[in-house]
Amino acid sequence: MRLHGLVDIEVPNQFEIDDVPFFPQEAYQCGPATLSMALVWSGIQVEPETVAPEVFTPSIKGSLQSAITGAARRHGRIAYPITTIDSLVKELASGHPVIILQNLGLSWFPIWHYSLAIGYDLEDGFVILHSGRTSRKHLSLITFERTWDRSDHWGLLVLPPSQLPVTAEESEYISAVIGLEKTHHWSEALKGYQTALNRWSNSLRIYIGIGNCYYKLGDLKAAEAILRDANILFPNEGVVLNNLAQVLLEQGKYNEAHESVRKAIQLGGPLSHLYQKTFEEILFLKDTH
Amino acid sequence: MKEMRRAIKPISIFLIISLVCISMPYGYASAAIIETEIAKDSIEGKQARNYILSVLAREEVQAVLTAQGIDSQEAKRRLDSLTDAEVIRFAKEIKQLPAGGGAFGTIVGAALIVFLVLLITDIMGFTDVFPFVKKHH
Repeated sequence: MRLHGLVDIEVPNQFEIDDVPFFPQEAYQCGPATLSMALVWSGIQVEPETVAPEVFTPSIKGSLQSAITGAARRHGRIAYPITTIDSLVKELASGHPVIILQNLGLSWFPIWHYSLAIGYDLEDGFVILHSGRTSRKHLSLITFERTWDRSDHWGLLVLPPSQLPVTAEESEYISAVIGLEKTHHWSEALKGYQTALNRWSNSLRIYIGIGNCYYKLGDLKAAEAILRDANILFPNEGVVLNNLAQVLLEQGKYNEAHESVRKAIQLGGPLSHLYQKTFEEILFLKDTH
Repeated sequence: MKEMRRAIKPISIFLIISLVCISMPYGYASAAIIETEIAKDSIEGKQARNYILSVLAREEVQAVLTAQGIDSQEAKRRLDSLTDAEVIRFAKEIKQLPAGGGAFGTIVGAALIVFLVLLITDIMGFTDVFPFVKKHH
């Protein structure tokens, strides 16, 4: 049975993830409590009290969505958005709990509430939530859909970078990994890109991401190797040639670096002013050595 | 005050040295490696632009454009004036239409043609339907 046409995908009729920890929330602290449950499930040992300063904004007595996303990244976790009921149920069915934001009030009198979805029952029509002070709360799918709709379907997966969301879409997933780069979690970002490369083996963006992570980790040899692979797969990509030139330059391979960036400049494109910069830098360093 | 300065001095020297150490290896590097985010936007912008051009080149679309008195070469030039972010958004909108995305190779739905024509007339300044089209006054 597919309940009221809300869910239109092939999944088991009911499912509950049984190893999700529960932290009852203190007043207004649904954000920190919910994020802590998701983080602990994903393998990061935290307490709501330690997470609270990272997400809670006292003046609004709540936690902004961007703060929840940012905090998940600061703990080295992939923060991946979930915005449809179908993808929510699919992720739950594959064992991934999802943070959801509901507006329990009305659009003109909002009461915002975070909770962690851990299961569902399509036969009897409810979702299972770790919510507020209640663990494994059953909420009718109809009420859930209405209250979730009033938050524009804001949902978030918090995953270790070794696991891909089952509903992952390439561009969105790469953005989630870039979030780890932004918080300087280079090893985790590297792992995230490597996981993604298993699914999208021909992705230029992922190759560039892996190269950048190795570079930031100071492993110039590995960065050079992946960028050379990328250059074979995508011979006409200026970004690859530019980044390869930089990596070669820092290993003192001036002639190869010069040759690589020269090709990038020949290709042109909207980023050619950056290739030009690399070119000038190589010329400068070549002359001074 | 003097004592405080004396106490702070070794810390200041330490800070100066460590700041110099931090900035040295990254001085050039940060300027030259292209960040993943910039590369991603640029790559997706190019893909989206090529996709819209392939849509524009389709016979059904060309026919409607010509009937509306719109020069397709000019439409292409106007497309060039859009930023990567705008083009990515266009391509996404087109792919979300019922006949967009994968099925596009075989069928062009009526909704898609209407959308495309409005999009192009927007870019050309005849209509003003989509707020994300850059206007040149």
